[in-house]
Formats: sequence, C-alpha cells, structure tokens
Amino acid sequence: MTLTQSVLELKGEMLMLNVLRLYDINIENIESALQLKRDEAPMFFIQSPIVIDCSNLGEQGKLLDLRALRRILVKMDFVPVGLRGIADGMRAAALAAGWNILRTPARPPSKDKKVLAKEKKSSIAKSDIESEKVADNPVEPVTIQKSNMTIERPIRSGQQVYAENADLIVLSQTSAGSEIMADGSIHVYGPLRGRVLAGVKGDTTARIFCRSLEAELIVIAGCYQLLDESDTNLQGKPAMIYLDQDKLIIEPLI
Amino acid sequence: MSRVIVVTSGKGGVGKTTTSAAFSAGLASKGYKTAVIDFDVGLRNLDLIMGVERRVVYDFVNVINGEATLRQALIKDKRVDNLYILPASQTRDKDALTEEGVENVINDLKDDGFDYIICDSPAGIEKGAFMALYFADEAIIVTNPEVSSVRDSDRILGILQSKSRAAEEGNVVKEHLVITRYSPERVDSGDMISLDDIVEILSVPLLGVIPESGSVLQASNSGIPVIMDKESRAGQAYMDIVGRFLGEKIEHRFLDVEKQGFFKKLFG
Repeated sequence: MTLTQSVLELKGEMLMLNVLRLYDINIENIESALQLKRDEAPMFFIQSPIVIDCSNLGEQGKLLDLRALRRILVKMDFVPVGLRGIADGMRAAALAAGWNILRTPARPPSKDKKVLAKEKKSSIAKSDIESEKVADNPVEPVTIQKSNMTIERPIRSGQQVYAENADLIVLSQTSAGSEIMADGSIHVYGPLRGRVLAGVKGDTTARIFCRSLEAELIVIAGCYQLLDESDTNLQGKPAMIYLDQDKLIIEPLI
Repeated sequence: MSRVIVVTSGKGGVGKTTTSAAFSAGLASKGYKTAVIDFDVGLRNLDLIMGVERRVVYDFVNVINGEATLRQALIKDKRVDNLYILPASQTRDKDALTEEGVENVINDLKDDGFDYIICDSPAGIEKGAFMALYFADEAIIVTNPEVSSVRDSDRILGILQSKSRAAEEGNVVKEHLVITRYSPERVDSGDMISLDDIVEILSVPLLGVIPESGSVLQASNSGIPVIMDKESRAGQAYMDIVGRFLGEKIEHRFLDVEKQGFFKKLFG
C-alpha cells in the first residue's frame, strides 16, 4: 500500500477485451459478419476494446486492407487496441495504418527466457527483430494445470477475483458490481450477482455452477450473455451453465 | 484491550456522524473510556453534533503534525464521563492525514487506556475514508434503505476486507450493520428496501435499525447526541445498538408500522 503522494500508479489490471480472430481477408465479408455479431448486443460493445488476431491469416494477411479494417471497427464503436499474430511483411503496413502491434501471448516465461530478455535489453537495435520472431512463433495451446482457489468471504461490489490456472469456489455471495474469473470452472454457493467469467484462457469445457443465479453477465471462454437478455427462467434458482458449440446453455442444477 | 471501530458507509448523508456521536456517547455512558475521532478533515461535523464546536482549540491534524499534544486536542465531553472528542481540522484537507500520523494517534489513545476508539469516516472511498478504516478492528456499516446506499456499503465492505491493515495481515474486520432512517410505512408502500432485503444483499450481521425520526435532526441542531434523548425512538434504538454491541440480548424494535392513536396523531 502506498500512502505517500505520488505522480502516478502503474499496476496490472484485468480488462474485458474482445479478440477478433480473422479467417478471411475480404473486408466486406468481415464487416457484415462483425455487424451481425455486434447487433446481438450493441450496448455491450460500445467502446469496448478489441484486439485483432491475424495468426490464422498467414502470408495472405499482407493483402488485408488494414486502414479499412480500422475504419469499420471505429464506425461500429469499437476501440481498436492493436494487432497481434501478424505475418512478417505486415508490420510496416500496420504501423502506417495507425495500428499498434501487440505481443502474441506466449507461455509463462521460463527462467531461460528471463535471461534472454535481459540480454535483449542490452542490444536495443537487435531487440525489435527478435521480438518479431517471438511473435511469429505459432502459439502452442496453453496447458492449464488445474488446482482450485476457495474464497470464504463475500466478494463485494468493485472487487475482482481471478483464479489463474484454477477452478474458483466461492462459499459466500458475489455482489452486484463484482467480477469473478477463473481459467477453469466456477462454483458459487451464495447468490451469484456480479459478472462471472469462466474459462478465461479459452477452456470451452469450463462450467459455472451456482445456487442462485442472479448474475449480470455470464461468460465462458469468451462467449457471453447478459442474464437480463437471456430467456432463461432460472433467475434466482440453482443453475449450471456450460458451452455447447459457442452457445451458452443454462440448465437447472438439481 | 482497546478496540478500534470505524463507522463508515461509502455514501454521504446516511448518518455516519450521527451514529458515531450516539454510539460513542452510549459506550461512554456504560462506563467505557471512549474517544471519537473525526476523519472528515475539511468538513468537520462531529464537533457540531456533539455540541463542542466552540471548545475546539487544537485538532486531529495539529496532533498528526506535532503542533499539539493529544491531551491538548482531546475535548472532554461535559455531559458524559469517559467521552472524549478529537475534532477534525476545518482548514486543511484529507492529504494532511498520513498513515504514520494516524497510527501514532491511535496508538497513543490505546496507551492512554481508551477502551474504544471510534473513527468517524468521511463519505466516499478516497483517502479520508481509507485512513479511517485502515486501522479498524471492527466496522459499523451505516446504510439507508435505498439502492445506492446499499450498493456503496457493499463497495466499502470490499475495501475494508481487502485494504485494511487487518486484511493485509490476513485477518477479518468484524462487521456490523446499522440501518438508519428506516421508515416501515415507506417500506410497506414499496418506496424503501426492506430490512430483510438489505441484510440479504449485504450479508452482514444486523446490529440495529434506527427509525426515521425528527428527533435526530433536532438533536444534531442543538448539539446533543440523539442517544441522550431517552424519549425519542431513535435515541432508544441507538441505546439498543450499544447494548447489543456489548453482548446483551435485545430484541429489535421499531420495525413495523406503528398503530397511531388519536393523541399520537395530534402530538406526533
């Protein structure tokens, strides 16, 4: 805790971020498909940050019109954060079109990599090329080593809990305005009232279990649903939520 | 063993200072040596409500800055033995509160043999509120029966259990809920959230309910903690709260719509 007066504070924060994974370079196709997605929950996407993942485009990514892509995102009220997974030759075009280029998330750095990183710092000229190489490496699926995290006290409005590489078990309630996240499944034994995100790193088999479903937003592996917009009749009842082919299924929990 | 108790709410105007004044006067009247500290630097109110406004020479910030001793700044209440008030400064702002300074004052009060140290928190979740709760062993959460107040209380509970020193050391701050300005009539008509719903939402043990009462305003305007008004329902409810806090078994009252007789209607 810092109580002294300071100029700024720098800290890591979990942020809801949409990743748009492209499989096609045809800008019309992208626009119409994205419009459809957005219209499902227009309010939800207003000014929401979005990252474009180009790793599935490969070399043909060079032909993608990055200026047009940025334009349509802004038009639809997204906040374009940057590109990731871009092919070798895309870099200059991306920067020219005003895009930021993000690192492709790799596995947690091992000790060797840290040493490597230190070496990189010493030669700044080299570092650009090297980090590009890292970005080009195909992302290997993250292996999630599951354990669990148990919280006995209520999770209050404004609080955020993230069970990294783990299931999350909450023995008490979660309040409206709170946010609970886990790479695995989530179990809540009191009323579930805030936002709940399971399978944060993309585990589509993650599930959400609760004794009283009163959540604001439900997310599993990036597929989300505002509870008020869902047609479930299980509000306030015990429920289990899982993902079936990109669709969230809410079932009674017996 | 001294206990540090923060009276907090998140939202403003719900009755923190009224509760601090009443609660500390109640504890003192039961024989416990009690100090009440006003953390609302720049907007001091506690001394007004306690009726010691014109006796303030030195304040909390003076003590923190070493410009006065604690003994000089503490104001002894003339009506209740064992009750001492540490007023806030009107001319400074909350940045004057340093962690070290506040800790020193609280430790000095403990060394002086105070049984209870009541920290009257300002509204909001900024520095003043944060300093008031940081050293707390227990917390009284003051809530009105309305949505925004309940939500803000929930938020402050989260801060209490994650940012206080007790939390940093892996301990839990003991929570008590006090619902003020409760009007059974307006709950019945659906204007206010019911007691059960508030307790449901916050899941904090209920210490007491203070009914909406004109005597609260009257008492604060005349600088007398409402708990000293033995006739008023609010005063009695605060006395119940003090009793319950000290472990007495006291039924909750003033929760249902009162059947009004003819005289009651006439004379209120």
